[in-house]
Amino acid sequence: MKAGLEVHQQLATGKLFCACPSELSDDVTLSFVRRLRRASGEGLAIDPAVEYQASRGFSYRYEAGPSNCLVEMDEEPPHPVNPTALDTALQVALLLHARPVDEIEVMRKIVVDGSNTSGFQRTALVAVDGRLDVAGKRYSILSVCLEEDAARKSGGSDAEVIYRLDRLGIPLIEIATGPEITSGAEARAVAEEIGAIVRSTRRVRRGLGTIREDLNVSIEGGHRTEIKGVQELRLIEQYVEGEAARQSVLLGIRDELRRRNAPPVGTVATEVTDGFADVTSGPLAAASRKGPVLALRLRGFADLLRSPPGTDERLGRELAEQARSIGLRGILHSDELPGYGVDAAHVEAVARRLGLEREDAFVLVTDGSRERAERAIARVAERADRAREGIPGETRDPLPDGRTRFSRPLPGRERMYPETDVPPISVERARLERLAESLPESTAARRARLVREYGLSEEIVRQLAAADALDPFETLASYGRSPGAVARLLVQEVPGVALPPGIVEFEPSVDALDALLAAAEAGRFAKEGIPNMLSAFAGGAKDLEAALTVSGLGGMSREELEGLVEKVVRENARMIAARGGAAFSPLMGDVMRAVRGRRDGGEVAKLLREAIARSNPAA
Amino acid sequence: MSGADRSDAWVALRSLPMGEHVEVSDGERTWTGTIVPHHELSGDRILQLKLESGYNIGIRIEPGFTFRTLAESNAPPVRGAPVPGGTVPRSATGSVVLLTTGGTIASRVDYETGGVRPVKEESEVLAFYPELEASGAVRIVPVFDRLSEDIAPEDWPTIAQHVVTAYRDGAAGVVIAHGTDTLGFTAAALSFLLADLPGPVVLVGAQRSPDRPSSDGASNLRAAVAVARDPRIGEVVVVMHAGPSDDRFAIHRGTWVRKMHSSRRDAFHSQNGPPLGYVVDGRVELGAGVRPPAAGPPRLDGPMDARGGLLWFYPGLTADRAETFSKGMRGIVLAGTGLGHVGSWHLTWIRSATARGMIVAMTTQCLEGNADPYVYATGRELLRAGVLYLGDLLPETAYVKLLWALGHSADPKRVEELLRADRVGEFRDRHDAGGPP
Ligand SMILES: [Zn+2]
Repeated sequence: MKAGLEVHQQLATGKLFCACPSELSDDVTLSFVRRLRRASGEGLAIDPAVEYQASRGFSYRYEAGPSNCLVEMDEEPPHPVNPTALDTALQVALLLHARPVDEIEVMRKIVVDGSNTSGFQRTALVAVDGRLDVAGKRYSILSVCLEEDAARKSGGSDAEVIYRLDRLGIPLIEIATGPEITSGAEARAVAEEIGAIVRSTRRVRRGLGTIREDLNVSIEGGHRTEIKGVQELRLIEQYVEGEAARQSVLLGIRDELRRRNAPPVGTVATEVTDGFADVTSGPLAAASRKGPVLALRLRGFADLLRSPPGTDERLGRELAEQARSIGLRGILHSDELPGYGVDAAHVEAVARRLGLEREDAFVLVTDGSRERAERAIARVAERADRAREGIPGETRDPLPDGRTRFSRPLPGRERMYPETDVPPISVERARLERLAESLPESTAARRARLVREYGLSEEIVRQLAAADALDPFETLASYGRSPGAVARLLVQEVPGVALPPGIVEFEPSVDALDALLAAAEAGRFAKEGIPNMLSAFAGGAKDLEAALTVSGLGGMSREELEGLVEKVVRENARMIAARGGAAFSPLMGDVMRAVRGRRDGGEVAKLLREAIARSNPAA
Repeated sequence: MSGADRSDAWVALRSLPMGEHVEVSDGERTWTGTIVPHHELSGDRILQLKLESGYNIGIRIEPGFTFRTLAESNAPPVRGAPVPGGTVPRSATGSVVLLTTGGTIASRVDYETGGVRPVKEESEVLAFYPELEASGAVRIVPVFDRLSEDIAPEDWPTIAQHVVTAYRDGAAGVVIAHGTDTLGFTAAALSFLLADLPGPVVLVGAQRSPDRPSSDGASNLRAAVAVARDPRIGEVVVVMHAGPSDDRFAIHRGTWVRKMHSSRRDAFHSQNGPPLGYVVDGRVELGAGVRPPAAGPPRLDGPMDARGGLLWFYPGLTADRAETFSKGMRGIVLAGTGLGHVGSWHLTWIRSATARGMIVAMTTQCLEGNADPYVYATGRELLRAGVLYLGDLLPETAYVKLLWALGHSADPKRVEELLRADRVGEFRDRHDAGGPP
């Protein structure tokens, strides 16, 4: 397996070509409709991706709000490149040992899916030929680019796609690695390392969707596919390994089709609607069906549409994805029939109608619109035909369950031409020298230093880095908090906090965390109470006292604790007399239940032992 | 043709043709790409290369660099599809005639070099905009090829004559594609120069160039053609976006319209009130007061006399400067402040100019509302000094009308009469109270 990554990280520097903030906003103050023309009247057939988008129509609605100005509306020419964003990209290039170009030229990359009001994405190559070492292996960095993020889809229908413009124009640093990655775990480690390097500039946006990865995967004898827009780092392994497995299954199918001499797949569908008049359940049930049932014969495909033993990948799913991509609910194929309300007699009848032979399969499609059903058949036929060659070059969407789904054909060579509205930028030596001097500490050096200075394990430091918590760690440690407690807080307790209902995000300030740890150290509440205290803060507690009250951890004085311990010991004097020191465990449980985390467990244990000893000196 | 060049590679490289495939090296790093046109603002000794990835970059070719030219690029050239040619002679009868005056209606991008080539041939333009002929034939007649800022008053009669010819040849309507910068001036000029129009004359432009997928040129053009086919209109109008959306277009009277924004699609506004109508979803919706077609035949009501000027008053404008500006002119339009005022220090030269028979006309630089001499003392004094107040005419429209009136008479009295008289509905008697949009 060979894989390469493209990491896209949003910057918090303000937008790339205008003075708008690089922040998302759900306020919509204006909406408008645009049509994009195919680029400059050229034939669409040249680029399969453009043609595919064109076939889906060209009308788009855009929603603008407080993060937008005329530039994102394509009503004003772009301003010169944001110098801070460019400095950040150059810093990242230097951190990756890449070589900046002498003059940066902004390009227009044609994108007619509507995600850019202009019909193109502005992008510039900043540096090339870098390298990155991860876990003793060297990876090449092919390029560092600076580009504008696209608008985000906010809704739509068959007739119109709606985009929100807040994201459009946010600077993205794009880092492309060479195809030297050979496993999912490597892919994830490289992605994490690149993320840490980019974040070390401290000019990046944080949160879900602010870093996105494109994964290019191929296996020996296969074809490159691109899994585009992965937001969950932890799923990278699954996507990469899953894609390799998918390609391997598809190659197996190709070999079998070749062995069977499967001929090209015809695209002519046969209408078999009347054959299903008596179906009463499933997708073909006569009562719920709104249009014709079309059948397509797949010569030589028998038993190849279902998963081969021991795998979860199947060609049937790939065919269904094609139908779904134009709005159908799915397809039925002969490898899964009888079933879905279709019985053996129906299958037999269709087989006779199509003149099916032993090694043939068929696909059934139905839709309210005959035209759409026919288009679905055409797509299914085309995809099935590609199976004879192996793996089609595709862009695939990552799904939350770790699988991927067909998105569109892989674009051809990027269609780029210069963005003449933006002057080229000469990268002066003085600028590079200034940036080189202010370069952040490399992530590897920083991790080594943290291990050395704070006596943490490499694993803990790695977890801190993965949680993007190195900065707060160092700040809290410099405030004199115990490094171990800080690390536990940032790696386990904060990420694992139980959010009160209705709260989706919790980002405590460093000061709040400092106050929390200080109070725990001072014995205001027990360390065990930290998760409850964090929950209280997540729920909106505005200071320590409020959090103590909300979590019920506040207000137990030393005297109260002593009184409680005395009382428990008194009430259980008989048991202590009988069992001596062995009474400690059950009594400790009783006391701790009553303390409810308001005092430190060690303190409670000490008091209890002393009280037991007083009650029964023999214990 | 290869081999390292030991002399200054820069000298040799810049003499290579665009599209040449080269490899340059500083001894450490090698770049391979296609030579593309130099950006006007590019730095010294910067070679612009298009890399295999499609990106352009600039490389500073220092002394000591070497290079060699390579055979054809491995990647297939990315070019536009061939354009079907149409050679059948096309008649104007029943067609909309599209006069092109310059700028770019359509252009093709060569992704190999990044060059943008304007498309001018009729067959090529129609292949570019197949939807233009959806409701009937369109004939394309090039008038000249000029950026709109390069269009001068002597060009206006030339355009007007082409309109007359098109209608005489049986055109159903006329569209004029024009750069947007001075489109308002040309629209006003044609309004006065064309008499007895049997149909619409529609000026149209684009605020986004046609080399981008989001260009407004195509949708504006389509709306303009729809207006040009409308049998209810017999005047000069401008059709452009009515808002940021590509589905609503305003129809402006040629004498009311002004470019009010440097870049927005809906830059054109009708001053002092609503436009004549709109094009919504391809349907032409007209308000009241549109001038109906005349029986024809149309004629050119020229000539124009360019010895007129337009002067924008500002607080530091001295009488000397204004007088020098007006030397050799037969008339001048002032864009005065507020209701039509200039500093009182201008009264002396104005008095002597009008005494000599020079026309001094007043408009308001507020662009909306009347120039009115009666409200303040300055206005009354200017009036007494012989200044002609032109109501709510835009300064530009007043200027264009002045040239037209000067062309029609040597007698200042007659010129004043012509300026005062409403010719094509350029004055709005009534200024709408407005209301919710
Ligand atoms: Zn903006």
